[in-house]
Amino acid sequence: MTRGTLRFEGRGIPVEDGDTVASALFRAGVRTFSRSLKSRRRRGLYCGTGECPNCTVTVDDLPGVRSCVTPAEAGMRVERGRGWPSAEHDLLHVTDLMHPLMPVGFYMKTFVRPRFAWPAAERLIRRATGSGRLPEGREPSRTIVRHAHVDALVVGAGAAGLSAALESARASERVLLCDAFPIGSQVAPGPALDALHAHEAEVRAEPAIEVLDGHAALGVYDGPTVAVASAGELVQVHPRRIVLATGATEMHEAFPGNDLPGVWLGRAASRMAARHGVSIGARLVVVASTDEGLEHLGTLVAAGANVTAAVVPAAFVDGVPPSAEAIVDGELVSARGPGRVRSVIVRERGQERRLPCDALVLSTGLAPRDELVRMAPGEPIELVGDAALAGDVPRVAGGYICLCEDVSAHDAEQAWAEGFRSAEILKRYTTATMGPCRGAMCGRALAAFAAARSDQTDRGAPGRTTARPPSRPVALETLAASVHEVIEKRTSLHETHLAAGAELGWSGGWKRPFAYGDPKDEYAAVRERAGLMDVGTLGTFLIAGRDAPALVDRVFPTRVADLAPGRSRYVLALDEAGYVADDGVLCAFGDGSYLLTSTTGGAERMDARLREWTHRLGLHVHLLDRTSELGAILVAGPRARDLLEPLSDDALGTDALPHAAHGEVTVAGIPCTAIRTGFVGELGFELHHPRSRGPELWSALMRSGEAFGVRAFGLDALELLRLEKGHLYVGQDTMPDDTPAKLGLDRAVDTSKEWFVGKAALERLAAIPLGRRLAGLTFESGPPDAAELRGTPVFAGGEIVGRVTSAATSPTLGRSIGLAWIRTAEGELPADGLRAGDALATVAPTPFYDPDGERLRG
Amino acid sequence: MTVRIPCPTCGERPHTEFTFGGQARPHAADDTEADFARVFLPDNDPGSARERWFHTMGCRTWFELTRDATTNRIG
Amino acid sequence: MAELSTTRPGVTAVLGSAEACELVSALPGACPVSPVEVAIVGDASITALRQAVQRVDPDAVVRDVSDGWVLHTLRGPGAREAFARLSELELPASGSVQGAVARVGVRVLVEGDRVDLLVPSMLATHVLERIEDECRELLA
Repeated sequence: MTRGTLRFEGRGIPVEDGDTVASALFRAGVRTFSRSLKSRRRRGLYCGTGECPNCTVTVDDLPGVRSCVTPAEAGMRVERGRGWPSAEHDLLHVTDLMHPLMPVGFYMKTFVRPRFAWPAAERLIRRATGSGRLPEGREPSRTIVRHAHVDALVVGAGAAGLSAALESARASERVLLCDAFPIGSQVAPGPALDALHAHEAEVRAEPAIEVLDGHAALGVYDGPTVAVASAGELVQVHPRRIVLATGATEMHEAFPGNDLPGVWLGRAASRMAARHGVSIGARLVVVASTDEGLEHLGTLVAAGANVTAAVVPAAFVDGVPPSAEAIVDGELVSARGPGRVRSVIVRERGQERRLPCDALVLSTGLAPRDELVRMAPGEPIELVGDAALAGDVPRVAGGYICLCEDVSAHDAEQAWAEGFRSAEILKRYTTATMGPCRGAMCGRALAAFAAARSDQTDRGAPGRTTARPPSRPVALETLAASVHEVIEKRTSLHETHLAAGAELGWSGGWKRPFAYGDPKDEYAAVRERAGLMDVGTLGTFLIAGRDAPALVDRVFPTRVADLAPGRSRYVLALDEAGYVADDGVLCAFGDGSYLLTSTTGGAERMDARLREWTHRLGLHVHLLDRTSELGAILVAGPRARDLLEPLSDDALGTDALPHAAHGEVTVAGIPCTAIRTGFVGELGFELHHPRSRGPELWSALMRSGEAFGVRAFGLDALELLRLEKGHLYVGQDTMPDDTPAKLGLDRAVDTSKEWFVGKAALERLAAIPLGRRLAGLTFESGPPDAAELRGTPVFAGGEIVGRVTSAATSPTLGRSIGLAWIRTAEGELPADGLRAGDALATVAPTPFYDPDGERLRG
Repeated sequence: MTVRIPCPTCGERPHTEFTFGGQARPHAADDTEADFARVFLPDNDPGSARERWFHTMGCRTWFELTRDATTNRIG
Repeated sequence: MAELSTTRPGVTAVLGSAEACELVSALPGACPVSPVEVAIVGDASITALRQAVQRVDPDAVVRDVSDGWVLHTLRGPGAREAFARLSELELPASGSVQGAVARVGVRVLVEGDRVDLLVPSMLATHVLERIEDECRELLA
């Protein structure tokens, strides 16, 4: 019954009920489905189960489709891959004749010189060997990702799998049953299929069993976790145990002519003839050594195939139909072409015979699909059904071992002769098993080849090569599903910034305003009047409990034992190697508790650090991460107090709240912890407030400052403001192995303390002269905007002696300034003759602006 | 691929919920050489070692466990 | 299907000895965080709670941390299915668990077909967007 047509390379091809793309094409006379990778040999239908590469075509612009297991649909567009000008007539087939010039691994010894030719050569080679083009401009389709927790995962919904699932469910387990294909789709119509469907109905009626057909198990990972995927869904299954009922493929053997079109494995032949009703040839020779093979022989004959000869073991003689000649205990020697199977050589009782034919059908053994258990040997996996068979050992007597990568037995012999003497190394040198089938067809043959040649002493040599996920082809968009979103932290002022026209960017895991307009205006506002900045991203921590003073004394190198309630102090955080990991401000409260702020990017690590030392020192401390709970707004500038006073009844003057003090103040009715800070070098109040009241506080502050031109300022303005004060950014101006001495921060270290984190390391390092130091620089004759100098190396004479970590041109100072780490000679910085890019650099003391700090002490 | 880490508070979880805190070696406050080795020269031997882990996405507590880095077997 | 709603409930942090934490773990809305910390979701009389806790551990800290948290609630027959798209955590029939949800640390309270996600405020939008995106077929 015709169901429309599909388009194949410009012609319409009828599609009948139950057709796969392969059967529709085959019925229409297509015999060459693809061309092999290197030699461009013709390849026809072979395995029929979607495992070998031969039937791979491009369907609706998607390459890599196994046509033998893909249902055909009217309107599909199908094309073959390799071949120039076409797969049918491939001029590059000449490479097959050049085989002697291209021994195994030749591409590792050639294509090296001349080096300039490689880019062009690569493009040519890629076009010649590619198996399809990826469609452009195609949006990834939606893939749902979910987790499933079950007691048993059963992979494979054939008879063995369905039984295992039912048994599990009846033992009160939660079961997930998956199969790469729709249940029963790989079984020929008949009593076996009917039984399967009855079984399936029982399974689907069980509420404890979730059935996912059309979902392939891609890999088994530690846990165990199994990735099971279909086109639109990726399920991460977490089972307590796994049952593999994946069955077995028919064995692939290597003999001369084994890759010719017209050589079929039994399943493929019987499906084509019986299920799709298409004759595979006028004269068939069948080689059947398995029970399944005998069945296929019967099926072919029943479908009307002309089987001229059947090569069978003595036990099967009675199963050979009378119309065929039974060749008992014969040995298949080779298949002869050219171009397709035209005859077969069989050895019978020591004599070689030539049997003319146009199709050779092979069922010589079974290879259990054990890839999933081999990739996860430590996990609780049980094999059932055919998957539990030991499997047969394939012959390697010539022909092609690896169909995907076009590796012949001769290639393997050459590689062995060159000294590559184990399955693993043969794999890497010849690329056998490294193609799309990942060894499903050829893995056993490669192992058998190595086993036959290695001696008893080298037991590792013949093993099967390592199995790795994915065990089925999977689209990258499926694997990438749901992990493409970055994690964005936001303050409660996010919408406020957007409404004010801010340019937001990434900083320390948060989206922060870099500028609202011209950063130079924002900078000027802070230096001349007042500015507001959202600093709610800072890490803020409550440190309380009876051992809180002991913790802060020991975790920071800075002297804090004398920090009085109401006072705050800049602290460094070191790691055990004495390196500066972060910095922050510590505020002491009257009840023995502290509020600590840290940098935005260092917040998570600071929390972990406080908890680590509480744990290691066995201290009784309560730690509360208040970063989310508290927003913070910095009000900075000479008019900062003028802005705040109308909004608060609390005393904000120099006596009540001097520099480096903190206090609880109510601003615009909102309770705040106000910390006097000087990071930007002006009178500054950092107002820590309940997050939910942030927008209210911001509006009130903006309104209050409107009269004298308050501005919101962002990270761009902050960069210059803090640089003028010589304040460093941990991570930008510091290196991972910077000690306080290298950063000029000795004042933040109290060496008289008995112990603090990193003390022992600092003592050891004190004995060695400093190798480098962070220094302030002024620049001359450089670019008009000194920010360009950031990151440039610093030269003394012709030698690199350092790198500029921060740089900017200061309107207030009328010069270009920066920070750089510079190598010291005997602890001393070079006196002069420094250059950075085009600029002349001179070491200068910091702060550059207001060195006595008068402006911030207001 | 995730290794499952047994948090004493929350139970077994994938390692992606944790931060690795390095090798746990006893603190030798008075022996500078041993302390130097502890901080700057981790053993890094194949096989089992005592390690510190932090449950970043859960209870945020630190704990120790023994893990064989070649097999990822814990305990 | 599941309904998604967002609220800002009261949240109280109790930091104290194991004994003090055990005392409050039985309260409705209690979510044990660690052996020395319990979070209580819902309105609580902080003063009364503090008195009770400090009787057992005078050093304990009891604070209102409501501003630090946002509650996203999934309710309905599809709530657990929606959760399975956001997290690898296995949910009990009722109780609390904390771990990675939408790739960030979240405290989960669950009762029947109601799943409450207590998310740090700074990540509330991130988690909401992930729920709306990953679970879109399931949300009413």
